[in-house]
Amino acid sequence: MIRGLLRFTLGRESEMLKVDNLESGYRPMQVLWGLNLEVKKGSITSLLGPNGAGKSTTLKTVFGSVLPWNGKILYEGMDITELPTHSKVEKGIVLVPEGRHLFPNMTVKENLIMGAYSEEAAKRQVESFELVYSLFPVLKERTKQRASSLSGGEQQMVAIGRALMVRPKIMMLDEPSQGLAPRLVIQVFEAIERMRGEIGLSVLFVEQNVETSLDISDYVYIMHEGSIKAEGTPKEIRALTDIREAYLGV
Amino acid sequence: MLLQQLSGNLTQGLILGAIYGMATMGLNLIFGVMKIVNVGHGAFIMLGTFVSFAIFTYLGLTPIVAIPLAFIVGFALGSLFFYFIIGKLTNAPELNSLLATFAIGMLIEEVTKFIFGSEWRGFTWDVGRVTLPFTVLPITKIYAFIISILVVIALYLWLRMTRSGTALRAVVEDKEGARVCGINVDRMYALSFSIGIGLTVMSGVILTFFISVGLNPYMGGAYTLRAFVIAVLGGLGSPLGAFFGGVIFGLVENGSYTLLSLIPGIEPFSLTRFVTFFILLIILLVRPTGLLGVK
Repeated sequence: MIRGLLRFTLGRESEMLKVDNLESGYRPMQVLWGLNLEVKKGSITSLLGPNGAGKSTTLKTVFGSVLPWNGKILYEGMDITELPTHSKVEKGIVLVPEGRHLFPNMTVKENLIMGAYSEEAAKRQVESFELVYSLFPVLKERTKQRASSLSGGEQQMVAIGRALMVRPKIMMLDEPSQGLAPRLVIQVFEAIERMRGEIGLSVLFVEQNVETSLDISDYVYIMHEGSIKAEGTPKEIRALTDIREAYLGV
Repeated sequence: MLLQQLSGNLTQGLILGAIYGMATMGLNLIFGVMKIVNVGHGAFIMLGTFVSFAIFTYLGLTPIVAIPLAFIVGFALGSLFFYFIIGKLTNAPELNSLLATFAIGMLIEEVTKFIFGSEWRGFTWDVGRVTLPFTVLPITKIYAFIISILVVIALYLWLRMTRSGTALRAVVEDKEGARVCGINVDRMYALSFSIGIGLTVMSGVILTFFISVGLNPYMGGAYTLRAFVIAVLGGLGSPLGAFFGGVIFGLVENGSYTLLSLIPGIEPFSLTRFVTFFILLIILLVRPTGLLGVK
Protein backbone atom coordinates (compact mmCIF):
# COMPACT_ATOMS: atom_id res chain seq x y z
CA MET A 1 0.00 0.00 0.00
CA ILE A 2 2.73 2.43 0.99
CA ARG A 3 4.84 1.31 -1.93
CA GLY A 4 1.86 1.79 -4.19
CA LEU A 5 1.33 5.28 -2.89
CA LEU A 6 4.99 6.06 -3.27
CA ARG A 7 5.00 4.81 -6.81
CA PHE A 8 1.90 6.87 -7.51
CA THR A 9 3.48 10.10 -6.28
CA LEU A 10 6.79 9.46 -7.97
CA GLY A 11 4.99 8.45 -11.12
CA ARG A 12 3.12 11.71 -11.10
CA GLU A 13 6.34 13.55 -10.75
CA SER A 14 7.86 12.38 -14.00
CA GLU A 15 4.82 11.71 -16.12
CA MET A 16 3.76 14.37 -18.57
CA LEU A 17 1.13 12.35 -20.31
CA LYS A 18 -0.44 9.02 -19.57
CA VAL A 19 -2.95 7.33 -21.81
CA ASP A 20 -4.89 4.55 -20.19
CA ASN A 21 -6.91 1.96 -22.10
CA LEU A 22 -7.96 4.48 -24.72
CA GLU A 23 -10.63 3.64 -27.27
CA SER A 24 -11.81 5.89 -30.07
CA GLY A 25 -12.48 6.10 -33.80
CA TYR A 26 -14.81 7.49 -36.39
CA ARG A 27 -18.25 6.09 -35.73
CA PRO A 28 -19.14 3.39 -36.49
CA MET A 29 -15.52 2.39 -37.12
CA GLN A 30 -13.40 1.83 -34.03
CA VAL A 31 -9.70 2.56 -34.52
CA LEU A 32 -8.11 2.47 -31.07
CA TRP A 33 -8.66 -0.67 -28.99
CA GLY A 34 -7.40 -0.08 -25.48
CA LEU A 35 -4.23 1.89 -26.05
CA ASN A 36 -1.74 2.55 -23.25
CA LEU A 37 1.22 4.86 -23.40
CA GLU A 38 3.23 7.33 -21.35
CA VAL A 39 5.36 10.33 -22.10
CA LYS A 40 7.90 11.25 -19.44
CA LYS A 41 8.65 14.87 -18.72
CA GLY A 42 11.26 16.29 -21.05
CA SER A 43 11.48 13.13 -23.11
CA ILE A 44 11.12 12.48 -26.80
CA THR A 45 8.73 9.62 -27.33
CA SER A 46 7.85 8.21 -30.70
CA LEU A 47 4.93 6.16 -31.91
CA LEU A 48 5.80 4.01 -34.88
CA GLY A 49 3.91 1.48 -36.91
CA PRO A 50 2.52 0.69 -40.34
CA ASN A 51 -0.06 2.75 -42.20
CA GLY A 52 -3.50 2.50 -40.69
CA ALA A 53 -2.25 1.40 -37.29
CA GLY A 54 -4.09 4.30 -35.65
CA LYS A 55 -1.09 6.51 -34.90
CA SER A 56 -2.69 9.74 -36.13
CA THR A 57 -5.95 8.83 -34.43
CA THR A 58 -4.03 8.41 -31.16
CA LEU A 59 -2.66 11.96 -31.37
CA LYS A 60 -6.00 13.39 -32.45
CA THR A 61 -7.79 11.66 -29.60
CA VAL A 62 -5.28 12.86 -27.03
CA PHE A 63 -5.64 16.38 -28.47
CA GLY A 64 -9.42 16.11 -28.57
CA SER A 65 -10.19 16.69 -32.24
CA VAL A 66 -11.36 13.07 -32.22
CA LEU A 67 -13.49 12.29 -29.18
CA PRO A 68 -12.45 9.44 -26.88
CA TRP A 69 -15.02 6.65 -26.47
CA ASN A 70 -13.48 5.03 -23.47
CA GLY A 71 -10.40 5.15 -21.28
CA LYS A 72 -8.52 7.98 -19.64
CA ILE A 73 -6.02 10.63 -20.64
CA LEU A 74 -3.97 12.09 -17.80
CA TYR A 75 -1.82 15.19 -18.16
CA GLU A 76 0.49 15.99 -15.25
CA GLY A 77 -1.72 13.72 -13.20
CA MET A 78 -4.86 15.62 -14.14
CA ASP A 79 -7.75 13.91 -15.94
CA ILE A 80 -8.17 15.75 -19.25
CA THR A 81 -10.14 13.07 -21.11
CA GLU A 82 -13.22 15.21 -21.58
CA LEU A 83 -11.60 18.61 -22.06
CA PRO A 84 -12.25 20.47 -25.32
CA THR A 85 -9.23 21.20 -27.53
CA HIS A 86 -8.99 24.90 -26.70
CA SER A 87 -8.73 24.15 -22.96
CA LYS A 88 -6.01 21.60 -23.66
CA VAL A 89 -4.07 24.19 -25.65
CA GLU A 90 -4.37 26.61 -22.72
CA LYS A 91 -2.97 23.94 -20.43
CA GLY A 92 0.05 23.47 -22.69
CA ILE A 93 -0.81 20.57 -24.99
CA VAL A 94 -0.34 21.26 -28.66
CA LEU A 95 -0.56 19.28 -31.88
CA VAL A 96 1.31 19.87 -35.12
CA PRO A 97 -1.21 18.19 -37.39
CA GLU A 98 -0.48 16.05 -40.40
CA GLY A 99 -0.57 18.24 -43.50
CA ARG A 100 0.42 21.26 -41.35
CA HIS A 101 -2.92 23.10 -41.62
CA LEU A 102 -1.40 26.55 -41.89
CA PHE A 103 -3.53 29.59 -42.74
CA PRO A 104 -2.62 29.81 -46.44
CA ASN A 105 -3.52 33.46 -47.06
CA MET A 106 -1.94 34.78 -43.90
CA THR A 107 1.72 35.71 -43.79
CA VAL A 108 4.28 33.72 -41.84
CA LYS A 109 4.14 36.32 -39.09
CA GLU A 110 0.34 36.27 -38.93
CA ASN A 111 0.41 32.47 -38.75
CA LEU A 112 2.81 32.62 -35.84
CA ILE A 113 0.73 35.27 -34.09
CA MET A 114 -2.30 32.99 -34.31
CA GLY A 115 -0.31 30.42 -32.33
CA ALA A 116 -0.13 32.94 -29.49
CA TYR A 117 -3.92 33.23 -29.44
CA SER A 118 -4.51 32.27 -25.81
CA GLU A 119 -4.11 35.14 -23.36
CA GLU A 120 -1.18 33.56 -21.55
CA ALA A 121 0.66 32.92 -24.81
CA ALA A 122 -0.12 36.43 -26.09
CA LYS A 123 1.71 37.95 -23.12
CA ARG A 124 4.86 36.04 -24.03
CA GLN A 125 4.61 36.69 -27.76
CA VAL A 126 7.83 38.72 -28.16
CA GLU A 127 9.90 36.13 -26.35
CA SER A 128 8.22 33.35 -28.35
CA PHE A 129 9.08 35.02 -31.65
CA GLU A 130 12.75 35.07 -30.64
CA LEU A 131 12.61 31.39 -29.76
CA VAL A 132 11.00 30.46 -33.09
CA TYR A 133 13.40 32.59 -35.13
CA SER A 134 16.41 31.16 -33.29
CA LEU A 135 15.21 27.63 -34.09
CA PHE A 136 14.32 28.45 -37.69
CA PRO A 137 16.36 31.49 -38.83
CA VAL A 138 15.04 31.12 -42.38
CA LEU A 139 11.55 32.11 -41.21
CA LYS A 140 12.82 35.53 -40.23
CA GLU A 141 13.46 36.27 -43.89
CA ARG A 142 9.99 35.04 -44.79
CA THR A 143 7.87 36.93 -42.24
CA LYS A 144 5.88 38.89 -44.80
CA GLN A 145 5.40 36.01 -47.23
CA ARG A 146 2.12 34.16 -47.49
CA ALA A 147 2.27 30.71 -45.93
CA SER A 148 1.01 29.12 -49.16
CA SER A 149 4.02 30.48 -51.07
CA LEU A 150 6.55 28.64 -48.90
CA SER A 151 8.29 25.37 -49.67
CA GLY A 152 7.17 22.22 -47.88
CA GLY A 153 10.07 22.36 -45.46
CA GLU A 154 9.46 25.98 -44.59
CA GLN A 155 5.77 25.27 -44.11
CA GLN A 156 6.63 22.52 -41.64
CA MET A 157 8.86 24.99 -39.78
CA VAL A 158 5.98 27.47 -39.61
CA ALA A 159 3.69 24.71 -38.33
CA ILE A 160 6.15 23.79 -35.59
CA GLY A 161 6.84 27.48 -34.92
CA ARG A 162 3.14 28.22 -34.61
CA ALA A 163 2.79 25.36 -32.13
CA LEU A 164 5.74 26.76 -30.13
CA MET A 165 4.04 30.16 -29.92
CA VAL A 166 1.40 28.40 -27.82
CA ARG A 167 4.13 27.92 -25.16
CA PRO A 168 3.37 24.23 -24.80
CA LYS A 169 4.69 21.78 -22.26
CA ILE A 170 4.09 18.87 -24.58
CA MET A 171 4.11 18.95 -28.35
CA MET A 172 2.63 16.18 -30.44
CA LEU A 173 3.74 16.00 -34.06
CA ASP A 174 1.93 13.98 -36.70
CA GLU A 175 4.42 12.81 -39.32
CA PRO A 176 6.65 15.89 -39.26
CA SER A 177 8.94 14.52 -41.98
CA GLN A 178 6.17 13.74 -44.45
CA GLY A 179 6.91 14.96 -47.95
CA LEU A 180 10.24 16.53 -47.02
CA ALA A 181 13.62 16.10 -48.70
CA PRO A 182 16.13 14.14 -46.55
CA ARG A 183 18.14 17.27 -45.73
CA LEU A 184 15.00 18.96 -44.39
CA VAL A 185 13.96 15.86 -42.47
CA ILE A 186 17.22 16.14 -40.55
CA GLN A 187 16.57 19.83 -39.90
CA VAL A 188 13.11 19.12 -38.50
CA PHE A 189 14.39 16.36 -36.23
CA GLU A 190 17.22 18.60 -35.06
CA ALA A 191 14.67 21.25 -34.20
CA ILE A 192 12.74 18.70 -32.12
CA GLU A 193 15.89 17.83 -30.19
CA ARG A 194 16.73 21.49 -29.65
CA MET A 195 13.24 22.27 -28.37
CA ARG A 196 13.61 19.53 -25.81
CA GLY A 197 17.09 20.73 -24.88
CA GLU A 198 16.40 24.46 -24.75
CA ILE A 199 12.95 24.70 -23.19
CA GLY A 200 12.53 21.22 -21.77
CA LEU A 201 9.64 20.42 -24.04
CA SER A 202 8.18 16.93 -23.92
CA VAL A 203 7.60 15.52 -27.38
CA LEU A 204 5.37 12.75 -28.67
CA PHE A 205 5.57 12.14 -32.37
CA VAL A 206 4.27 9.77 -34.98
CA GLU A 207 6.50 8.75 -37.88
CA GLN A 208 6.94 6.51 -40.88
CA ASN A 209 10.62 7.39 -40.96
CA VAL A 210 11.76 4.62 -38.60
CA GLU A 211 15.55 4.95 -38.59
CA THR A 212 15.71 8.68 -37.87
CA SER A 213 12.96 8.33 -35.28
CA LEU A 214 14.90 5.66 -33.41
CA ASP A 215 17.95 7.92 -33.50
CA ILE A 216 16.37 10.79 -31.61
CA SER A 217 13.82 9.04 -29.38
CA ASP A 218 14.23 8.26 -25.70
CA TYR A 219 11.38 5.79 -25.78
CA VAL A 220 9.51 4.08 -28.59
CA TYR A 221 6.09 2.52 -28.91
CA ILE A 222 5.22 0.19 -31.76
CA MET A 223 1.60 0.30 -32.73
CA HIS A 224 -0.49 -2.01 -34.85
CA GLU A 225 -4.25 -2.34 -35.38
CA GLY A 226 -5.17 0.15 -32.71
CA SER A 227 -3.03 -0.93 -29.79
CA ILE A 228 0.59 -1.03 -28.63
CA LYS A 229 2.42 -4.18 -29.67
CA ALA A 230 5.86 -3.41 -28.27
CA GLU A 231 7.68 -0.69 -26.41
CA GLY A 232 11.14 0.12 -25.16
CA THR A 233 14.20 2.27 -25.58
CA PRO A 234 15.49 2.55 -29.15
CA LYS A 235 18.23 0.08 -28.26
CA GLU A 236 15.70 -2.47 -27.02
CA ILE A 237 13.54 -1.98 -30.11
CA ARG A 238 16.50 -2.43 -32.43
CA ALA A 239 17.20 -5.72 -30.71
CA LEU A 240 13.69 -7.03 -31.27
CA THR A 241 14.34 -8.25 -34.78
CA ASP A 242 11.01 -10.05 -35.25
CA ILE A 243 8.97 -7.04 -34.09
CA ARG A 244 10.92 -4.70 -36.30
CA GLU A 245 10.42 -6.91 -39.32
CA ALA A 246 6.74 -7.50 -38.61
CA TYR A 247 5.65 -3.93 -37.89
CA LEU A 248 8.28 -1.58 -39.17
CA GLY A 249 9.65 -3.39 -42.21
CA VAL A 250 13.27 -2.67 -41.29
CA MET B 1 -30.32 62.01 -73.20
CA LEU B 2 -29.32 58.35 -73.23
CA LEU B 3 -26.14 59.11 -71.34
CA GLN B 4 -28.11 60.99 -68.75
CA GLN B 5 -30.53 58.11 -68.38
CA LEU B 6 -27.69 55.61 -68.19
CA SER B 7 -25.76 57.52 -65.54
CA GLY B 8 -28.97 57.99 -63.60
CA ASN B 9 -29.67 54.29 -63.65
CA LEU B 10 -26.08 53.42 -62.84
CA THR B 11 -26.25 55.67 -59.78
CA GLN B 12 -29.35 53.83 -58.66
CA GLY B 13 -27.59 50.58 -59.48
CA LEU B 14 -24.57 51.53 -57.41
CA ILE B 15 -26.72 52.26 -54.38
CA LEU B 16 -28.87 49.16 -54.80
CA GLY B 17 -25.71 47.15 -55.44
CA ALA B 18 -24.17 48.35 -52.19
CA ILE B 19 -27.33 47.24 -50.39
CA TYR B 20 -27.31 43.88 -52.19
CA GLY B 21 -23.68 43.45 -51.28
CA MET B 22 -24.29 44.33 -47.66
CA ALA B 23 -27.23 41.93 -47.66
CA THR B 24 -25.02 39.10 -48.88
CA MET B 25 -22.18 39.52 -46.40
CA GLY B 26 -24.03 37.59 -43.71
CA LEU B 27 -24.62 34.67 -46.06
CA ASN B 28 -20.97 34.60 -47.01
CA LEU B 29 -19.75 34.92 -43.44
CA ILE B 30 -21.80 31.89 -42.42
CA PHE B 31 -20.71 29.92 -45.46
CA GLY B 32 -17.07 30.87 -45.02
CA VAL B 33 -16.92 29.73 -41.43
CA MET B 34 -19.26 26.76 -41.36
CA LYS B 35 -19.67 25.79 -45.01
CA ILE B 36 -23.40 25.95 -44.44
CA VAL B 37 -25.55 27.52 -47.15
CA ASN B 38 -28.36 29.47 -45.56
CA VAL B 39 -31.24 28.73 -47.92
CA GLY B 40 -33.54 30.75 -45.68
CA HIS B 41 -31.44 33.86 -46.25
CA GLY B 42 -34.16 35.90 -47.98
CA ALA B 43 -36.62 35.31 -45.15
CA PHE B 44 -34.28 37.14 -42.77
CA ILE B 45 -34.05 40.08 -45.20
CA MET B 46 -37.85 40.11 -45.32
CA LEU B 47 -37.92 40.08 -41.51
CA GLY B 48 -35.73 43.18 -41.53
CA THR B 49 -38.07 45.02 -43.87
CA PHE B 50 -40.92 44.28 -41.46
CA VAL B 51 -38.89 45.50 -38.48
CA SER B 52 -38.43 48.76 -40.38
CA PHE B 53 -42.12 48.84 -41.35
CA ALA B 54 -43.27 48.23 -37.77
CA ILE B 55 -40.95 50.83 -36.28
CA PHE B 56 -42.12 53.45 -38.76
CA THR B 57 -45.81 52.62 -39.01
CA TYR B 58 -46.73 51.46 -35.51
CA LEU B 59 -44.25 53.37 -33.39
CA GLY B 60 -43.89 56.42 -35.63
CA LEU B 61 -40.13 56.40 -35.23
CA THR B 62 -37.54 56.97 -37.91
CA PRO B 63 -36.47 53.67 -39.54
CA ILE B 64 -32.88 54.56 -38.62
CA VAL B 65 -33.80 53.28 -35.15
CA ALA B 66 -34.67 49.96 -36.76
CA ILE B 67 -31.08 49.38 -37.89
CA PRO B 68 -29.50 48.55 -34.51
CA LEU B 69 -32.74 46.94 -33.38
CA ALA B 70 -32.79 44.64 -36.41
CA PHE B 71 -29.20 43.64 -35.77
CA ILE B 72 -30.04 42.75 -32.19
CA VAL B 73 -33.15 40.81 -33.23
CA GLY B 74 -31.15 38.98 -35.90
CA PHE B 75 -28.26 38.26 -33.54
CA ALA B 76 -30.66 36.86 -30.94
CA LEU B 77 -32.54 34.75 -33.48
CA GLY B 78 -29.26 33.55 -34.95
CA SER B 79 -28.01 32.49 -31.51
CA LEU B 80 -31.30 30.75 -30.79
CA PHE B 81 -31.35 28.82 -34.07
CA PHE B 82 -27.69 27.99 -33.68
CA TYR B 83 -28.11 26.70 -30.17
CA PHE B 84 -31.11 24.51 -30.90
CA ILE B 85 -30.64 23.49 -34.54
CA ILE B 86 -27.63 24.58 -36.60
CA GLY B 87 -25.02 23.90 -33.94
CA LYS B 88 -26.05 20.25 -33.88
CA LEU B 89 -25.58 19.93 -37.63
CA THR B 90 -22.03 21.21 -38.04
CA ASN B 91 -20.69 17.70 -38.63
CA ALA B 92 -23.77 16.37 -40.40
CA PRO B 93 -24.03 15.94 -44.19
CA GLU B 94 -24.77 19.12 -46.14
CA LEU B 95 -28.32 18.12 -46.99
CA ASN B 96 -29.26 18.27 -43.31
CA SER B 97 -28.21 21.88 -42.89
CA LEU B 98 -29.80 22.82 -46.22
CA LEU B 99 -33.12 21.38 -45.06
CA ALA B 100 -32.75 22.98 -41.65
CA THR B 101 -32.11 26.49 -43.00
CA PHE B 102 -34.93 26.01 -45.52
CA ALA B 103 -37.26 25.09 -42.67
CA ILE B 104 -36.08 28.03 -40.57
CA GLY B 105 -36.79 30.34 -43.51
CA MET B 106 -40.32 28.97 -43.83
CA LEU B 107 -40.85 29.30 -40.12
CA ILE B 108 -39.84 32.97 -40.23
CA GLU B 109 -42.17 33.55 -43.21
CA GLU B 110 -45.16 31.90 -41.59
CA VAL B 111 -44.68 33.65 -38.27
CA THR B 112 -44.42 36.99 -40.09
CA LYS B 113 -47.58 36.17 -42.02
CA PHE B 114 -49.30 35.25 -38.78
CA ILE B 115 -48.41 38.61 -37.24
CA PHE B 116 -48.67 40.97 -40.22
CA GLY B 117 -50.98 39.10 -42.59
CA SER B 118 -50.17 38.19 -46.16
CA GLU B 119 -51.20 41.41 -47.91
CA TRP B 120 -48.58 43.69 -49.39
CA ARG B 121 -47.33 46.36 -47.06
CA GLY B 122 -45.49 49.58 -47.60
CA PHE B 123 -44.73 52.95 -46.11
CA THR B 124 -43.49 56.32 -47.28
CA TRP B 125 -40.57 57.76 -45.42
CA ASP B 126 -39.80 61.07 -47.04
CA VAL B 127 -36.91 63.23 -45.91
CA GLY B 128 -36.46 65.14 -49.15
CA ARG B 129 -34.45 64.62 -52.30
CA VAL B 130 -31.25 65.73 -53.95
CA THR B 131 -31.21 66.82 -57.57
CA LEU B 132 -28.11 65.74 -59.44
CA PRO B 133 -27.50 66.82 -63.06
CA PHE B 134 -28.61 63.44 -64.34
CA THR B 135 -31.03 62.13 -61.74
CA VAL B 136 -33.05 62.90 -58.66
CA LEU B 137 -32.17 60.92 -55.57
CA PRO B 138 -34.33 60.61 -52.45
CA ILE B 139 -32.19 61.29 -49.40
CA THR B 140 -33.21 57.95 -47.88
CA LYS B 141 -31.33 56.22 -50.72
CA ILE B 142 -28.24 58.23 -49.89
CA TYR B 143 -28.63 57.13 -46.27
CA ALA B 144 -28.87 53.54 -47.46
CA PHE B 145 -25.67 53.88 -49.45
CA ILE B 146 -23.70 55.52 -46.64
CA ILE B 147 -24.91 53.08 -44.01
CA SER B 148 -24.11 50.09 -46.22
CA ILE B 149 -20.57 51.35 -46.72
CA LEU B 150 -20.18 51.97 -42.98
CA VAL B 151 -21.36 48.46 -42.18
CA VAL B 152 -18.85 47.00 -44.63
CA ILE B 153 -16.05 49.03 -43.09
CA ALA B 154 -17.11 48.01 -39.61
CA LEU B 155 -17.16 44.33 -40.56
CA TYR B 156 -13.80 44.65 -42.27
CA LEU B 157 -12.24 46.33 -39.23
CA TRP B 158 -13.73 43.74 -36.92
CA LEU B 159 -12.29 40.90 -38.99
CA ARG B 160 -8.87 42.57 -39.26
CA MET B 161 -8.32 44.33 -35.98
CA THR B 162 -9.99 42.38 -33.18
CA ARG B 163 -9.06 39.17 -31.49
CA SER B 164 -12.39 37.49 -32.21
CA GLY B 165 -12.37 38.71 -35.81
CA THR B 166 -8.89 37.36 -36.39
CA ALA B 167 -9.90 34.05 -34.84
CA LEU B 168 -12.87 33.94 -37.19
CA ARG B 169 -10.62 34.50 -40.21
CA ALA B 170 -8.38 31.72 -38.98
CA VAL B 171 -11.37 29.35 -38.85
CA VAL B 172 -12.29 30.37 -42.42
CA GLU B 173 -8.75 29.66 -43.60
CA ASP B 174 -8.23 26.37 -41.82
CA LYS B 175 -10.49 24.93 -39.17
CA GLU B 176 -8.00 22.33 -37.94
CA GLY B 177 -5.24 24.95 -37.86
CA ALA B 178 -7.47 27.20 -35.77
CA ARG B 179 -8.12 24.35 -33.37
CA VAL B 180 -4.41 23.70 -32.75
CA CYS B 181 -3.96 27.41 -31.98
CA GLY B 182 -6.43 27.04 -29.12
CA ILE B 183 -9.34 28.75 -30.82
CA ASN B 184 -12.73 27.54 -29.65
CA VAL B 185 -14.05 26.63 -33.09
CA ASP B 186 -17.58 25.87 -31.89
CA ARG B 187 -17.84 29.32 -30.37
CA MET B 188 -16.67 30.86 -33.64
CA TYR B 189 -19.42 28.92 -35.40
CA ALA B 190 -22.01 30.37 -33.06
CA LEU B 191 -20.57 33.86 -33.39
CA SER B 192 -20.48 33.78 -37.19
CA PHE B 193 -24.03 32.48 -37.41
CA SER B 194 -25.38 35.08 -34.99
CA ILE B 195 -23.51 37.96 -36.61
CA GLY B 196 -24.37 36.67 -40.09
CA ILE B 197 -28.09 36.59 -39.31
CA GLY B 198 -27.82 39.94 -37.51
CA LEU B 199 -26.27 41.53 -40.61
CA THR B 200 -28.90 39.95 -42.84
CA VAL B 201 -31.90 41.18 -40.85
CA MET B 202 -30.25 44.59 -40.65
CA SER B 203 -29.83 44.65 -44.42
CA GLY B 204 -33.60 44.26 -44.73
CA VAL B 205 -34.04 47.55 -42.90
CA ILE B 206 -31.57 49.26 -45.20
CA LEU B 207 -33.39 47.78 -48.19
CA THR B 208 -36.54 49.65 -47.14
CA PHE B 209 -34.59 52.91 -47.42
CA PHE B 210 -34.35 52.16 -51.12
CA ILE B 211 -37.71 50.57 -51.72
CA SER B 212 -40.32 50.64 -48.98
CA VAL B 213 -43.32 49.19 -50.78
CA GLY B 214 -44.28 45.68 -51.80
CA LEU B 215 -43.27 44.20 -48.45
CA ASN B 216 -44.81 40.79 -47.86
CA PRO B 217 -43.84 37.62 -46.03
CA TYR B 218 -42.84 35.81 -49.22
CA MET B 219 -40.70 38.50 -50.80
CA GLY B 220 -37.46 36.87 -49.63
CA GLY B 221 -37.10 34.29 -52.40
CA ALA B 222 -35.94 36.80 -55.01
CA TYR B 223 -33.32 38.09 -52.60
CA THR B 224 -32.08 34.60 -51.77
CA LEU B 225 -31.50 33.99 -55.46
CA ARG B 226 -29.71 37.32 -55.89
CA ALA B 227 -27.60 36.67 -52.83
CA PHE B 228 -26.48 33.31 -54.21
CA VAL B 229 -25.44 34.88 -57.49
CA ILE B 230 -23.65 37.71 -55.67
CA ALA B 231 -21.92 35.33 -53.27
CA VAL B 232 -20.56 33.24 -56.13
CA LEU B 233 -19.65 36.36 -58.08
CA GLY B 234 -17.74 37.90 -55.19
CA GLY B 235 -16.16 34.67 -54.02
CA LEU B 236 -17.84 32.19 -51.71
CA GLY B 237 -16.85 32.68 -48.11
CA SER B 238 -15.46 36.18 -48.51
CA PRO B 239 -17.66 38.84 -46.88
CA LEU B 240 -15.79 41.65 -48.58
CA GLY B 241 -16.03 39.86 -51.92
CA ALA B 242 -19.79 39.67 -51.39
CA PHE B 243 -19.93 43.44 -51.13
CA PHE B 244 -18.06 44.03 -54.39
CA GLY B 245 -20.07 41.28 -56.05
CA GLY B 246 -23.21 43.10 -54.95
CA VAL B 247 -22.04 46.41 -56.38
CA ILE B 248 -21.25 44.79 -59.74
CA PHE B 249 -24.58 43.00 -59.69
CA GLY B 250 -26.47 46.23 -59.01
CA LEU B 251 -24.61 48.13 -61.73
CA VAL B 252 -25.13 45.41 -64.33
CA GLU B 253 -28.78 44.93 -63.44
CA ASN B 254 -29.59 48.63 -63.73
CA GLY B 255 -27.20 49.53 -66.53
CA SER B 256 -28.37 46.72 -68.75
CA TYR B 257 -31.97 47.78 -68.16
CA THR B 258 -31.31 51.17 -69.74
CA LEU B 259 -29.49 49.68 -72.69
CA LEU B 260 -31.97 46.88 -73.25
CA SER B 261 -34.90 49.27 -73.26
CA LEU B 262 -33.42 50.83 -76.41
CA ILE B 263 -34.07 47.67 -78.37
CA PRO B 264 -37.60 47.76 -79.71
CA GLY B 265 -39.92 44.85 -79.19
CA ILE B 266 -38.34 43.30 -76.13
CA GLU B 267 -39.27 43.41 -72.48
CA PRO B 268 -36.11 44.87 -70.85
CA PHE B 269 -36.80 43.92 -67.25
CA SER B 270 -36.93 40.18 -67.73
CA LEU B 271 -33.82 40.30 -69.90
CA THR B 272 -31.73 42.02 -67.21
CA ARG B 273 -31.67 38.72 -65.36
CA PHE B 274 -30.29 37.03 -68.45
CA VAL B 275 -27.56 39.66 -68.71
CA THR B 276 -26.58 39.41 -65.04
CA PHE B 277 -26.28 35.64 -65.22
CA PHE B 278 -24.31 35.99 -68.45
CA ILE B 279 -21.84 38.33 -66.72
CA LEU B 280 -21.64 35.90 -63.84
CA LEU B 281 -20.73 33.12 -66.28
CA ILE B 282 -18.00 35.21 -67.84
CA ILE B 283 -16.49 36.20 -64.50
CA LEU B 284 -16.53 32.58 -63.37
CA LEU B 285 -14.82 31.51 -66.59
CA VAL B 286 -12.01 33.97 -65.92
CA ARG B 287 -11.91 33.53 -62.14
CA PRO B 288 -13.57 30.29 -61.04
CA THR B 289 -13.30 31.26 -57.38
CA GLY B 290 -15.13 34.56 -57.83
CA LEU B 291 -13.65 38.03 -57.45
CA LEU B 292 -12.13 37.76 -53.98
CA GLY B 293 -12.63 34.07 -53.44
CA VAL B 294 -9.93 31.74 -52.24
CA LYS B 295 -9.77 28.09 -52.98
